[in-house]
Amino acid sequence: MKISSFKWLFGRNSEFWPTNMKTGMLAWVGHRLSGLVLVAYVFLHLSFISTASMAEDGADFNALMETTSQPLFVAMDFLLVIVVIYHAMNGLRVVLFDLGVGIRRQKLVFWVTMAIAAVLIVGGLLAIWHLVFPAGGA
Amino acid sequence: MAEQRIATSKVAGTWAWAFQRLSAVLLIVFLALHLLAAHFIGVGEETGEEPLITFDEVSVRLDQMLYIVVDIGMLSMVLLHGLNGLRTVMFDFDMFVKRKKLIDVALWVVGMATLIWGVVILLPFITGG
Repeated sequence: MKISSFKWLFGRNSEFWPTNMKTGMLAWVGHRLSGLVLVAYVFLHLSFISTASMAEDGADFNALMETTSQPLFVAMDFLLVIVVIYHAMNGLRVVLFDLGVGIRRQKLVFWVTMAIAAVLIVGGLLAIWHLVFPAGGA
Repeated sequence: MAEQRIATSKVAGTWAWAFQRLSAVLLIVFLALHLLAAHFIGVGEETGEEPLITFDEVSVRLDQMLYIVVDIGMLSMVLLHGLNGLRTVMFDFDMFVKRKKLIDVALWVVGMATLIWGVVILLPFITGG
């Protein structure tokens, strides 16, 4: 397959070029990209848990949990939180439209769900902060 | 070019569409519970003050049938939703629509294998600790 046959997907004149997309299309592309990331994450998640099978007393699992509580991994957890919340809130918007709710005001519904997503993401950040720096600690 | 993508909205099927919506709503609820249980509720009570997940602590929880059932149920739901979503994305491409049967079989095999793997990797927590 030639690269040029993907021009409809990647070209500057493509309907998928970010500045060529309208609200609904942007939400749709974002939903698919975030969905693919989350499918990949499920397999990563299981592979991390599988370390429990490596040593009799779960030493490898404990060591990995220690590692994943380091700042780099916690930062990646926050990125995961952003992706999950976007996918969940945009998915809720899709479900609402399929139920016939809000289609006439689809742009407003998109930005309302994104506002809720933003609030939840801030909540996620605060929750992660609380885990990393427990009250009284820090 | 639009003509390179054919009308695929009906390829995935009505049941897959309906299931995707139902599982989406359920997953929002169960993912919230999963995160609360894993990181915020009662973590560190059994083993110390650190909010760190440990093998012993997970083992204590997986002695309870409720945790085992919810974990395996959630993994089943996640795999069905995730792989069905992947299937929907693939069927927007002509080259995958042409091989619909093969892709459906392959995704079921991957899903079932991953579910079995998921149960196997939980066993150390259930039997040990």
